[in-house]
This record gives sequence, structure tokens and C-alpha cells, in this order.
Amino acid sequence: MRDEDFLLLKNLFFNLRISDKEEEHFKSLWCTKSFKQYDLITEAGSIERNFYLVLEGVQAIYVLNEKGEKVVLGFSYTGSPSGVFDSFVSGEPSKIFLEALKPSRLLAISKSDYLDLFKNDPSFYQWGHHFFQEVLFGRLSREVELLTLTAEQRYISFMQRCPDELKVIPQKYLASYLNMKPETFSRLRASTVY
Amino acid sequence: MAKLILTPENQIQRLNTIFNSVEQLRDLPLVQLKKRGNPKTWSVLEVILHLNIAYGHYQTKFEEILPNLSSIDVEQKKFKCRAWQKFVIEGQRPKNNVRKWKMKTLKRFEPIIDSEHVDDKKANEIIDSFFALYGHLKETIVTSRGKDVTKIKFASAIGPIVNFYLPESFEFLICHLERHMVQISEILKQVEK
Repeated sequence: MRDEDFLLLKNLFFNLRISDKEEEHFKSLWCTKSFKQYDLITEAGSIERNFYLVLEGVQAIYVLNEKGEKVVLGFSYTGSPSGVFDSFVSGEPSKIFLEALKPSRLLAISKSDYLDLFKNDPSFYQWGHHFFQEVLFGRLSREVELLTLTAEQRYISFMQRCPDELKVIPQKYLASYLNMKPETFSRLRASTVY
Repeated sequence: MAKLILTPENQIQRLNTIFNSVEQLRDLPLVQLKKRGNPKTWSVLEVILHLNIAYGHYQTKFEEILPNLSSIDVEQKKFKCRAWQKFVIEGQRPKNNVRKWKMKTLKRFEPIIDSEHVDDKKANEIIDSFFALYGHLKETIVTSRGKDVTKIKFASAIGPIVNFYLPESFEFLICHLERHMVQISEILKQVEK
């Protein structure tokens, strides 16, 4: 594992207090996976086998509506965790796709290795508590935005917080995430200052 | 008539759902897999063998066609199914888990199994073949996402009276699978009685 990749990993698992030997073992549990643009990393109907950390690239998680259109639930990008967490935790087939929107490099840990981390070191429970709390807060905040803000407010709020690498993905994914038509997104992009 | 828009993601999701259902069949006792609901119908294993036979034509065609399609760098556009092809596809698609009408199978697609001599090993071989063949279909759908699928069409297994572009053939095959998955549920209900 490259040093810069391990730095991202340590940043995600910020609270770990492990010895050098344990660190080597921790590192050995992760493998790097590369995906081309538009590769499906996880397919709906299959079980998510890995927990990922994004080293490079942008990915979208989405479901298909009745018309077969992609409805974007969220994105992952450099430094963020990725994967279809509900399927990973439950072991049930996912209803969600995870797709690389840009060429992507991800660090992956398998379910059994992930569970062993918790079994062998209680500090992972603290991390897990914090991690899933952040996921929950993030989802609640998004739900409130979707239900209470106007399209323009949603656009401004998102553009103010989203990293630059997310701003260059195809507009239709951003529009879908913000629950607006691509035409509306395009109009807001041309006319709104944030 | 409403448009039928075909996307590879929708097809992949439905194919994975079918794979999960077929995988569960492995847990059933052999007697349930090879028993017919009534003398005029097929057993579960016969249905799967029929599906395996039905894919043969398409496997050959896909292997011929796929290398000849040009690659695309952009995301594939939505594919609108043509009217006649849509009619043929909708004839296969079950509605609300019901087959709208029963069809006579062409002789060359009929499964022939000597049920008395089918053991667990043979049953697993039939199911393994299913996964190998329809795994090929899934690979083809995944690969086709990076190809221009609007250039080459080919005759279906029924003959030149129905020709397909790749997305139409995928849809036809998946609807055919879904139709037979409904049949398998019906057989299992009859066998359990």
C-alpha cells in the first residue's frame, strides 16, 4: 500500500490506537481495486462484499425507478468511505447500484476481515459508533433539505459543500441527487451564484 | 402504445434477482426438482434445462457480434425497443407473477431428461450450466454498456421473422427467464401439494 493511500485510511479510522505490528496487519487486510469510468462496482440484486475507501475518483450510488431511470442517493469521492452499506451489513441482496463516474481506485476490505477488526480490537466499536452516527446524521440532513428547501436553495447548499471533483461529473447525476430535472439544474448553474 | 425503454442496469438487476432465486433451488430435495406437477407439465429441472437450451443460439450470436461493435466513451443512451420486437417481448413477460398465456415449445427447445436416472450430481450439473450460460448473458450485458448497440441486429432463435438489436434480445431473454421462473413457482406449489 502506498504511503499516501495509508494516510487516507488512517484519516478514516482516525481514533485507532494500534501498535506497529497491528498496523501492518491492518494494512494487509486491504486490497486496491481499480475501476474504469462507468464500471459497476456493485450491482443491484447482488450482495455487497466489501467496505471501500476511495483513493481516487467519484462514484454514485443509485436505485432505478419504475421507468428504469437512475435515482441518485449519494456520491463517494477521494477520501470518503464507499459501498452499499445496508447490503454489506445485512448480507442481503442490494437494491442499489454503485457505479464509477470517473476512473476510480478504491481500497477494499472483505466482510469477514472487517468483522474480525471489531472482534480483535474494541476501539473499532468506537469508530463504528462514530461512523454510523455520521452516516445517519448525513441522511437526516439530506432528507430535511429535500423536504424543506426550494430547488435553488438545494442547489446552493449542495454546491457550497461539495468538493470540486464532484462538480465535474455529468450534470444529470447531480440533478437527480438534488431531485430536479437536468434542465432545472442547468438553468440554476447558469444563473445562480453560490 | 407506451414506449419500452431498455437499460442495461435494469436488465442486470432483474438477472441478479433471477440468479438468487435459482441458487435457492439448490437447497430443495432432488425429488421436488424432478417431479412434474402433472404429466403434461415439466419438472423444475426440465424448465432449467429448457432455459439452457434456449440460450445456445444467443450465446453464439453474442460471441459473433460483440467484438464487431464499436466502443463508446460516453454513457450509453437509453434504447427504445421497436414496436414488433416489443410485441414479441411483451408476449413473454409475466404480469403480476402470472403467465398471460401458455405457449407451445418448439421441438428443438424441448428438454429431454431421464428423470429416473437423475441424481444430485446431474441436477447440480444442470443448475451449474444455467449459471455458466446466463452468467455469459450478464457478462454480455455488462460489456455492451461500453458499446454502440444500435448498429448490428440479428435473427432471433425463432428465425428471421423476429430480429433483435442486442438490448432487445437481452430483454427478450430476461422476460423468457422471468416467465419460466413463474412456471417454476407454479410447479413447486403443485409438487408440494
